[in-house]
Parts: sequence; C-alpha cells; structure tokens
Amino acid sequence: MDHEEANSAPYAIDVQGLGVEYSLRFTRKTTFRDTFKNLTTRRDGPTHFWALRNVSFRVAHGDCLAVIGPNGAGKSTLLQALAGIIQPTEGNIDVRGHISSLLTLGAGFDQELSGRDNILLAGAFLGIDHDEMAARLPGIIEFADIGPFIDASIRTYSSGMRARLGFSIATAVDPDVLLLDEVLGTGDEVFRAKSRARVQELMKAARGIVLVTHDMHWVTEFCNRAMLIEKGHVVALGEPDDVVRIHQEHSTAARAARDAELARLLAGAASART
Amino acid sequence: MLTFAPMETVQEVRPTIRAVRRGPFGLILETLREIRSRQRLVRYLVQADLTKKGANTLLGNVWWVLDPLLQMAVYVVFITIVVGNRTEGYPLFIFCAILPWKWFSTSIGDGITSVTSQERIIKQVQFPKIVLPLAAVVSGIGSFAFGMIPLAALLILFYAEHLSAWIVLIPIVAVVQFVFSLALVVFLSAANVFFRDVGNLVRHVLRLWFYLSPALYSATKINEVAERGGIVSTIFNLNPWTTLFESYRNVIFYDTAPLWSGLAAVLVASLVLLGLAIIFFKRLEPSFAKVL
Repeated sequence: MDHEEANSAPYAIDVQGLGVEYSLRFTRKTTFRDTFKNLTTRRDGPTHFWALRNVSFRVAHGDCLAVIGPNGAGKSTLLQALAGIIQPTEGNIDVRGHISSLLTLGAGFDQELSGRDNILLAGAFLGIDHDEMAARLPGIIEFADIGPFIDASIRTYSSGMRARLGFSIATAVDPDVLLLDEVLGTGDEVFRAKSRARVQELMKAARGIVLVTHDMHWVTEFCNRAMLIEKGHVVALGEPDDVVRIHQEHSTAARAARDAELARLLAGAASART
Repeated sequence: MLTFAPMETVQEVRPTIRAVRRGPFGLILETLREIRSRQRLVRYLVQADLTKKGANTLLGNVWWVLDPLLQMAVYVVFITIVVGNRTEGYPLFIFCAILPWKWFSTSIGDGITSVTSQERIIKQVQFPKIVLPLAAVVSGIGSFAFGMIPLAALLILFYAEHLSAWIVLIPIVAVVQFVFSLALVVFLSAANVFFRDVGNLVRHVLRLWFYLSPALYSATKINEVAERGGIVSTIFNLNPWTTLFESYRNVIFYDTAPLWSGLAAVLVASLVLLGLAIIFFKRLEPSFAKVL
C-alpha cells in the first residue's frame, strides 16, 4: 500500500494479505529428547501450518468489527497479530494509535497479589505511566465493583470477579484501538449492561474495536461489521446479519456432516458386532 | 537450531510490520532503552516476587536468615565429624561461600523459569520480555541482603577476631557476581522457552559446580594437590566461582583484599557474556509468543 494514501486513509486498522505461520517443530514443552527424535527420524506430515492466510480487512474509525468462526479458526491468532504480540509471517498490518490488548481478560493476573496490585502490575505491563495509572485506579476499582475483595489476593476471586476486573483495566486505559476476546458474556446482568455501555461509549469516541465472540446476539446487536474466519481464511466480511447467517449455515452443515459421520461409525460398529 | 532449514521457506513475501533486523549493538542499545523505560515494571515484578516468597510460609522472611545457617550447620557436622577437618573457624569459613552461592543458585533457579512462567501475559500484552529475567535476578538480592544478618551475628558473637573493615568491600564482589548471574539467567531463560528440560539439567550442573569450586575447602588446597597435573589447576582457576569464593573469603574471613585482578577479569568476561546473552535473547524474543 502506498504510504501517502495510508496516511490520509481514515482507517484505525488496515490489514493486507496477513499470514501467520506456526512451526510444529517447536511447540510448548519441547524437550531435548523430542528434538533429537526430530533430527534423527524423518517425520511424515507437515512441519508448518498456517494459522491465518491471505487475511485482508480494514476497520474504519468508529467501527466495531466482530470476528466469528468455529474453534481453532485463527480468531485469537488474529488478535495477537493485531496487538503486535506475534509477528506476521507475511503481509501488512497497519494499526494507528495506542492499542489495548488484554486479550483473554484476567488470564494474566498474578494469583498471589491483591486486585489493587494487579491493576498496577497490568498497567506497568501495558507500559502506562505510573502517575496516569494512579489517577485511573479509583475509576477502575469502582467500575469492577468487587467491593472489599480489591485488597484480597486474586486467588480468592470468582471467575466472574476476575473477568470484571480484567474488563475494567482493559477499557480504562483509553485505547485508540480496543481488542476484546470473548468478554462480553461475563458477569451478571448488571455488569453486562455496564460493559455494554462502556463499549458503546468507546465506539462513540471514534475508536476502532475488534471483538472476538461466540455470542451471535452480541454480533448483530453491537457491531456494525462482521468477519467470518474458517481454517485461517476469511470466508465472509460485511453486514453482521449476513455474516452471522452464513456462519450459522456453515455450522449447521458442519454439524450435519459430523452427525452423518458419527452415524456411519456407529452403523459400522453395529454391523461388526453382528 | 540452525539445522532446521525449512524455517526459511516464506521469506520472499511483501514488506511487513516486522521490526527491522538490528545489528548486535543495536539490539543491546535497544535493550538498555527498554529497561530504562520499564523500570517501574521491573520494580513491581521484584516487589511481587518478594511479597510472594515471604507470604506463603509460616516464618516468612525469617527463612532467609535461617536457611543459610541451617545449611552451614549441615556442612559443619558433615565435614568436621565425618571427614575430620579441624580448620579453625570452619563454620565462618564455609558461611562465606554458602551465602553468595545461595543467592546465585536461587537467582538461576528462579531466572530460568522467569519467561515461561509469565506465559499468559506474554500472549496477551506486547512488552519487552527482558524485564523478566532481570527482575528475577534483582529480587535475588533480597535473600542475599537478609543473609547479612546471620553473617553479622556470627562475626560479632563468635568470630570477633575476624571482624575487620574489609567487609565493606562485600558489595563490590557482589556486583561482579550480579553481572555474572544476570548473563547466565538471560541466556538460560530464553533457552528454556524452547527446551523445557534446561531447568533439570542446570540443577545438576549447579550441584556439581558447587562441589568443584572452593566452597567447602580452600583454593590453596586444590592447587597443592593438582600441581603435578597442571591442567586441572588451570581449569580450577578459570572457574569464576574460584575467584568469587576466594574474594568473599578474603574480605570476610582472612581480612585481606579481594583478588582484584581476578575480579576484574570475571567482570569483563561477564559483561561480554551478558552482551552475547542479550543478543541471543533478543533474537529469540519475537517467537516466544508463538512457542509458549
């Protein structure tokens, strides 16, 4: 993309031809023994796989883009790439402005520290100035609304409380671009209404939002655009209603195929017994 | 790792937002800048670590005082009664070694897993990962500082004749040890992301290293025994812990100057090693989030 054009374009996020490739040589918990095995024996099958390939889309200012798709489609990988946590193997990502990227909210908390310490720690990880964080602390605590638990260690929190605290931190840092992964369904009715209001507030402030969710209700109600990803490729991109319909057709078809396969296997087992 | 050639298959594609590949000096400068801008994060991580270590046990930080004393007691019983060593002031003699070694082995132990244990935050937030091994080694200073309490108690109560002004030089020896530990930890923490058994291996290497260094015996003894071999003596004296243990012992036990030239050599070698370790770390850093 031409640089001049990029500067004038009113996009918060511009992704062109993004591809992320994972090596299967090194996965978590590799040991010397595995490596030795890999070196000495030729394994069949792929040594690499593309978690995302040829993904192109833009998020305009004030857009809220929903990313939907089956498990393992590459949704979370996309958010990680947007946040700069993993580097793309090919393609271009252009994100303008400050990103907040507490993706799976609350997962990065330190179990032994209090909620208050975790807020400061998260702020330090995100690179926010201490004075700014101190100024925001009361607001974050108030929004999370977990009462005296704020000074208890995170170990004692319920998963709902953890998610609430995570959401408060992620949205209190005033990002230009907000990346949310599966968060809106957390907490009770009251907190859900509150978080809905907060997300709408951020949308109004002309900031880009990319939201990964399995809740189709949120997609159609909240977002003005949606993208369906399957097996690392963009299958549909456009109006939320249309994209959700395609997703539901696909998942119905997938379920039907799975049921047929299951029926076939059961029939095979039954015939083998008789 | 260079043997895995297929890694290079998709390099020809379009320009990306991938950071420019910096030269070795660029990487080191960038690291220094990152550390300076994230001082606060290092401080929080250290504080968190110290709180946690103190909070989970009944006696809390008292263990930092008791641990080296109990360890000393075990060695004293073992060496004086079983082996039959009758060196004057032997408890203090080995305490000079146990204290810094405890600091070293806990720094290495905590440091190796410093990156892998923060797996979840690494996958959520983009931040300079170098702060993790740094914080692990810095928080080790806490246990060493607490160890000064039993050392002072031993000196004042039982070994007043060994007390001298030379002990103010302990921090200088400690600085050399700090740089040396940091270099090893930066290297090992990155390697552990790719091979989780680095930790197991290092545990055994550390134990062997302790017994092969002049901790429970003096360096002069080894040099007497090994004179004929020559090479054994050379290797023994190249061991950084020979210099470090002897220097600690000089200022605490023998009331003389530390091994100045030896310390300078270890410091220079450690700084070079640290530079190499930082380059190694920075080169692997981009793939941490994918591998973890």
